[in-house]
Amino acid sequence: MLNKIIAAEVLAKAMSGGADFAEIFCELTRTQSLSLVDSKIDRITDNVISGVGIRAFKGTQTAYASTCDVTRGGLLACAQRVADVIADGKASVNLSLTERIFPNIHPVEVEPVGADMKRKIDLLKAGCFAAKGYDAHISQVQGTLALVDRTVWIANSEELFTSDRHVRTRMAVSSVASDKGENQSGSCSPGRGMGLEMFEIFKPEDIGAEASRHAMVNLRASYCPAGRMPVAIENGFGGVIFHEACGHSLEATSVGTGTSQMCGKLGQKIAGDKVTAIDDGTMVGAWGSVNIDDEGNPTKRNVLIENGVLKQYMIDRLGSRRMGMPMTGNSRRQDYHYEPTSRMTNTYIDNGPDKNEDIIRSIEYGLYAKKMGGGSVNPLTGDFNFAVSEGYIIRNGEICEPVRGASLIGNGSQILMDIDMVGQNLATGQGMCGSSSGSVPTDVGQPLIRVSSITVGGR
Amino acid sequence: MDFSEIKEILADAANKQGISHYDVYYVKNNSASAETFKDAISSVSSENSIGLCFRCLKDGKFGYASCERITEEELCALVSKAAENATYIESEDEAILFEGSPSYREVNNKVLPMPSATELCDLALQMQRQTYAESEYVTDGTECSVGATEISIDLCNSYGLTLHKEAYVYSAVSAAVVSKDGEAEDAYEYRLGTSFDNTKELSEKAVSKALSKLGATELPSGIYPIVLSGKQMSVLLDTFSGVFSGKSAKLGLSLLKGKEGEKIAADIVTLVDDPYSECLVAKTPFDAEGVSTETTAIIKDGVLQTLLYDLSTAQAMEKKPTANASKAGYSSAIVISPYYFGIEAGKMSFDELLTRADGGVYVTELKGLHAGANAVTGDFSIESAGFRIKDGQLAEPVKSFTIAGNFYDLLKNIDCLSDQITVGVPGVFHAVGAPDVLLKNVSIAGK
Repeated sequence: MLNKIIAAEVLAKAMSGGADFAEIFCELTRTQSLSLVDSKIDRITDNVISGVGIRAFKGTQTAYASTCDVTRGGLLACAQRVADVIADGKASVNLSLTERIFPNIHPVEVEPVGADMKRKIDLLKAGCFAAKGYDAHISQVQGTLALVDRTVWIANSEELFTSDRHVRTRMAVSSVASDKGENQSGSCSPGRGMGLEMFEIFKPEDIGAEASRHAMVNLRASYCPAGRMPVAIENGFGGVIFHEACGHSLEATSVGTGTSQMCGKLGQKIAGDKVTAIDDGTMVGAWGSVNIDDEGNPTKRNVLIENGVLKQYMIDRLGSRRMGMPMTGNSRRQDYHYEPTSRMTNTYIDNGPDKNEDIIRSIEYGLYAKKMGGGSVNPLTGDFNFAVSEGYIIRNGEICEPVRGASLIGNGSQILMDIDMVGQNLATGQGMCGSSSGSVPTDVGQPLIRVSSITVGGR
Repeated sequence: MDFSEIKEILADAANKQGISHYDVYYVKNNSASAETFKDAISSVSSENSIGLCFRCLKDGKFGYASCERITEEELCALVSKAAENATYIESEDEAILFEGSPSYREVNNKVLPMPSATELCDLALQMQRQTYAESEYVTDGTECSVGATEISIDLCNSYGLTLHKEAYVYSAVSAAVVSKDGEAEDAYEYRLGTSFDNTKELSEKAVSKALSKLGATELPSGIYPIVLSGKQMSVLLDTFSGVFSGKSAKLGLSLLKGKEGEKIAADIVTLVDDPYSECLVAKTPFDAEGVSTETTAIIKDGVLQTLLYDLSTAQAMEKKPTANASKAGYSSAIVISPYYFGIEAGKMSFDELLTRADGGVYVTELKGLHAGANAVTGDFSIESAGFRIKDGQLAEPVKSFTIAGNFYDLLKNIDCLSDQITVGVPGVFHAVGAPDVLLKNVSIAGK
């Protein structure tokens, strides 16, 4: 969709007002979504997202313009809008772009958007019917199969011209269990940066059964008691605690503007000794992986915290200029409508020294958070919240009755220090993370951990 | 390619494929904004976008396909794709393509000029200066932004129905960071409207709100009376607005199924959905299926009058349609959602409410509702912040506590409503408003 000659011409136009850097991000994305409700295919939608975003810098001032008109004329008009903003000088730029091909470390076996529709419907039905058949109390099941095939072309005034393809597949099943006029819900929604071969790892029947098991546990649960207590947070999506409590505060989006509680803390101890945390955009076929970020830099495995000491922030180009530190391959955006910023990819707390059974056994009275919902954080204050979607009371070192409706709240810098046990069953969970550059797929992850004390919101 | 050319290509492609019933939903969006950091402009951005959705009827089922790539080849592919997608649909709900209402209300949404980048930059810088000037404690990290958006929506179908609406909106945000004695807090104020007048008020409010949060203490866990601010009641109502969808009820995802005519809220609660409310930036004369819109009473004196319906859900449930079919964006399938969704004001002054909630908490912030509120069960447990209420007056700030409850119970337990409406969720075609609400016996988890 973008060729080198036009790209060079457009970049030169974008810089003609005196910018010191310009970049083109061009995108062609095909998405497809199948949804099933009431045991029937309810909706199938196809969409084509196509357009370009052009950005120019002068120091730390940026100008961004986007358009869906990808003709040469459309691109030049879009570049002119950028040049009109950064227009305090004149520059005559002559660029010759060099194509760089980055190795594809996320090969796709079964391209999902164009795959046989009947096969996709069968996969979705297998998941949803397994959920419906799980228990007579399952009153409703909704399922979605969401497929993405995105190609991006990125060119910049540092003579880069490159492209990448991102393929993603995700199945989400949510079940409602009903009894005596009460509804409870459960869900399971694994995704991967791969094609339909994802279902060799996740059997659709297992996804459906897990959603209904979750709903049935909640149907039998009573309300969670409120108060401050030790909490054991299970692996997988439990890693949202790190994502919210710390991850966002390590993004240049907030660090670069001085609005993060983690500013100026490199080399300092910010977490318990057992905490090593990593953001790794190179995990093969993972939900948050890409070969290159949305500024054309290869993604990396960045160790953020090592044995409790802060080692690294996640930095995009603007953040790099603001902070005087190198970029880390973390620049991301939902699509070409958004100016990119620093974002997480696959972020997790690594395995630690503790045995999982010892973690549970160590708690006299507390909460075992088996499944987490989403959450949010204010990076300035570090205050965060997240929802527990499946929880159990721990009494005398044993997991006891299920409880529902709990949330966990606290402060990032405090909670990191309070992670005092880290187990050994690292697993990831998939989410969509929202920030100023839109909604992007991210993995969160961790093994079972213990937080010595946290406020549990319940009643 | 303009919309009339697009329509011709689509009509031709549909005709060639034997598709006689379809509609086209076409959205154009132009926007521009400027943002500040410290004493300079940090970012200026602009967007020109077009998106369209083709929806066709085939064997009684709807198929959808949409795109932003407006070429003849892509438009023809769109028609084929939508037709193919329709063949896989199994839902037994009748797919209804609407011929048109007898008449549509005239609305005159104010036409606004698109400001230049220079004008936006000047305005944003002026706001930034105003915000810093509000207090010596305002610090870097404070950001102001202003923007302008033009949205135009066309809906046409194979019956010859042609509908058009457009909206113009200016936005202004002041996000203030304050720092005092090593403690930092932030707060923002924003406005969507038809002018950039009096942005100073936004700066004043943002700074005073941020300052008022300094020195917040934690609250002991317990059961408290609370006054939920009109803004936060709006946010909560918006989060749970899906329970008023007829489709959610039909699928057993709302506990309001079959409750029309029953008491579901306290006597003092009246809830309306009004597409012509002055609280909306733009009024909406037709819904996403082309049905003429009207004001709908949802709860009157605590009694549920109706849920919200699109055409096929109303038909399946044998109810009167309420013209609430909507699309979140050009590419989304039709869902049911309200326009201006508002709880009407009560009779009590805010001060009287505080007196009645003595010893309790005035809740001014709810955070993470996307995670802490469950629309299927109605349960919520939400991180909150606000102020203690002592001797009928607002006292010290409090934070890091949760309020927990159930939305269905909350509606019934509303004790008093203030006489002042706040549009806590402002928007162009969708907004939510509510008065301050007194709730007794709310479970709070704190220290």
